[in-house]
Amino acid sequence: MTTSTRADVSEAQRPVTLRVNGRAMTALAEPRMLLSDFLRHELELTGTHVGCEHGVCGACTVRMDGDIVRSCIVFAVQAEGAELETIEGLAAPGELHPIQQAFREHHALQCGFCTPGMVLAVQTLLEQNPDPSEQEAREYLAGNICRCTGYVGIVDAVLAAARALRSTTPAEEVA
Amino acid sequence: MATQVHDAPPAGAPSYVGSRVLRTEDPKFLTGAARYTDDVHLPGMLHAAFLRSPHAHARATAIDASRATALPGVVGVYTEADLAGLVAPLTTLFERPEVGTITRPPLDSTTAHYVGQALAVVVAESRYVAEDALEEIEVEYELLPVVMDPEKALEAGSPVLRPELGSNNYAHIEFQRGDVERLFAEADHVFRKRLDHGRHMAAPLETRGVVADYRAATGELTMWSSTQLPHYLRTVLSGLLGMAENKIRVIAEDVGGGFGLKAIVFDEEAIVPALARLLARPVKWIEDRYEHLAASVHAKDQICEIEAALTSDGRILAFRGRHVGINGAWPGHPWTSLVDPLCAAMLMPSIYDIEAVGFTVDSPLTNRAPIGPYRGIGWTAGQATMQLLLDDAAAALGMDPTELRLKNAIPDAPFVSATGMSYDGGSYSASIHKLLEMVDLPAFRGRQAELREQGRYIGIGISPYIEPTGWGAELSRIQGFPWEFFDSASVTVEPDGSVIVTTGMQSHGQSHETTFAQVAADALGVRFEDVRVMQGDTALAVYGNGTYASRSAVIGGACIMRAGAEVKEKLVEMAAHAMEVGVGDVEMAEGEARVRGVPGKRMSLREIAGFAYYGGTRRPPDVEPSLTATRSYDPPQTYANGTFAAIVEVDAGTGKVTIEEIVCCEDCGRMLNPMVVDGQVHGAVAQGIGGVLYEEIAYDDETGQLLTGTLVDYLYPSTVEVPPMRISHIETPSVVTEGGIKGAGECGTIAAGPAVLSAITDALTPFGRIEITKTPLRPGDILDLMDAARR
Repeated sequence: MTTSTRADVSEAQRPVTLRVNGRAMTALAEPRMLLSDFLRHELELTGTHVGCEHGVCGACTVRMDGDIVRSCIVFAVQAEGAELETIEGLAAPGELHPIQQAFREHHALQCGFCTPGMVLAVQTLLEQNPDPSEQEAREYLAGNICRCTGYVGIVDAVLAAARALRSTTPAEEVA
Repeated sequence: MATQVHDAPPAGAPSYVGSRVLRTEDPKFLTGAARYTDDVHLPGMLHAAFLRSPHAHARATAIDASRATALPGVVGVYTEADLAGLVAPLTTLFERPEVGTITRPPLDSTTAHYVGQALAVVVAESRYVAEDALEEIEVEYELLPVVMDPEKALEAGSPVLRPELGSNNYAHIEFQRGDVERLFAEADHVFRKRLDHGRHMAAPLETRGVVADYRAATGELTMWSSTQLPHYLRTVLSGLLGMAENKIRVIAEDVGGGFGLKAIVFDEEAIVPALARLLARPVKWIEDRYEHLAASVHAKDQICEIEAALTSDGRILAFRGRHVGINGAWPGHPWTSLVDPLCAAMLMPSIYDIEAVGFTVDSPLTNRAPIGPYRGIGWTAGQATMQLLLDDAAAALGMDPTELRLKNAIPDAPFVSATGMSYDGGSYSASIHKLLEMVDLPAFRGRQAELREQGRYIGIGISPYIEPTGWGAELSRIQGFPWEFFDSASVTVEPDGSVIVTTGMQSHGQSHETTFAQVAADALGVRFEDVRVMQGDTALAVYGNGTYASRSAVIGGACIMRAGAEVKEKLVEMAAHAMEVGVGDVEMAEGEARVRGVPGKRMSLREIAGFAYYGGTRRPPDVEPSLTATRSYDPPQTYANGTFAAIVEVDAGTGKVTIEEIVCCEDCGRMLNPMVVDGQVHGAVAQGIGGVLYEEIAYDDETGQLLTGTLVDYLYPSTVEVPPMRISHIETPSVVTEGGIKGAGECGTIAAGPAVLSAITDALTPFGRIEITKTPLRPGDILDLMDAARR
């Protein structure tokens, strides 16, 4: 994937180099290729899902340079040099991040399709606001649609994950 | 099948069933490791994109794909003629004389019958190139008259969309039980309500998708599809593709929501494998969101008109209904558009003890996308209409709306409804009483009065419901659908003592990997963590109808209980023989055989299984090796029930509705996993709210153009629209199903929305009595209703 001869490269394609979940990666992309397609089909990171391809549903949410973006309305070439985080990088293999654990304990997922984007949005919310009120959590997550849970378990999980993360965060970082 | 009474397990017996067991399937979803259809990538795979009609009704007189096929990377452009001989026409047959039969090609390249209908398909090396090619196809259209108004479509003189039917009415059904005319003539009061219930749709977050791989050397087709019914899809495909079922494997490993929409066999599911066979290369098609909104299936587009005959003291004598299900260009396969109006009509008596009921059902064809099932099907519109009708009646009679309902409620016991449905016992009144405790109605009325003084308008709506669940043959027939249903499960203890359960049901959020393992663990007396549930693959699992209509807990649960009991019997036999005790002295618990009254005398499941498979001559002489059983189940009619309350605030200046809270007391009989039941209620409530306040598939009345082709127009409720919820449970075990399980999943979509409508009416009482006549209600609609009420 990272090496190509010139003959393989159609005129429109160009290499895109970026870091994904801490690893340097390069693959070819036409300028019009969506970042979501690039992640899913070129880098084979299929944990990022595509629900609408027009930036409404939030299923394709990933983190780019520390903030959430909708990868279906970002072109892969715009991510040149960026630091990307996808669901595959949140926890070590076989382990769950405290947010993922809270989602499990509070039945915050059913079909699982919105879950990766939702979890990454929650991660970003809790970095920006470690102790959100229920209303703040609801407002932050209003751009991530879940069709299964009615958001009840998700809101509970966010508040539980916030508590869990606060209790494990060193005091100086909280201050 | 004879009706049997089954008792709940003895109190105190250790049981996984009924516990809030966390989900086994969660880690794969949480870490992005699930495998949905678009996650399948095969070597040499091609990509399909459909050319879809921009017109609601038009003849395609010429399709010129020469520029499209010349694009680099395009393999070909295919129309109906190219697929002749590869895909047979699809016939939707509903074996009742009142219902039409429609036969049509899965790819119709000569006539567009709705905006979004496929006319041709491009196959290319990438989806990007395939979509480029769509732009290069030139189609000459001859526009045809558009039929959109459902009532005009039924009039003589309307253009007829399917000449083989002779009219636009796909079905006309009449039903009457009891002396409806006399009761209406003698009634002190007759109330009438018409509700035009808006077209909306399930719209799961994962769109539809197919990957088909045909191996010419073996004649085998492997097909991944985002479907709720892998085996049934295989059965239909067998006929459409002319292939034996044993040469077709359908895989739906992980499915990103369905809600009934994917309990359909779609045209694309036949076209894509036909292309794979034609081209001898794998072909993938993933639906985009426009295609999903325009060309999958819509739902719940109904005109419901119900009349009630009442005595002056508030006794309901009879209901009379006119139910019009606004069809698309043809019926979705196999359910047809009748899932909405016919089911709404049959459930009209609801929880009320009435003497007679009559109705008509019609289903006019229009130039819209087809209708399919969506969680709650036609019961949603029926419930909404009944809710508003009974509220009107109570107001006119000076009764509290809940008092009117309680006065007419059937007893909390098995009951045959006025339409002949056999309810299997429930908490029809008890759930209303429990809900009233949960909402503290007197305190609410006090707060309502206080806030009104401040110019704030809150209201409450209370909506009791009954919900047919566990869709089997008997339930289907009593609702007017003359078809067979059942399901199966296999239970196998492997040589190491681990357990595999397979079932033809398919979890797309329902948590089968957990709940079915709970049932199997209890049935066998083994540990939950030793059970693995395999499903969603026709090559792995025993045949079944699939997952929809709140049927999996009832039917899958019973199949597993039956098969598990058989295997357990064999385990006990093996263990008794090995330990040289009587069969009656052995019990299975927590993964070991224990000898009653002899503490310490036990044999682990692993030992028993090893003995069963490899014990040779030490096995009981007349017992076959291996530990497996497959059983089926087709339940008698079963019904869940309960009551919802919605508490809303309406901004009288803007018409904006804010839902403060949804409260529910539900009764789905014996619960497999209360956490999962709550999750089903929560999700269904959100969809019910969407249907009454936000979600609408709209077409232009004249041209038939789709007006809601993006998620900017079609509005999903988000975290800020869906309120907090409180749920309580009453468990009235079914007196007819195995284990007393009734099934759950649709109540929120049936009754939460109607509760919201009532609550809006209640909130706006100071402005006069508003008359809701349609859904969804947007802020502008609310202001219009207030204006009308003031006049």
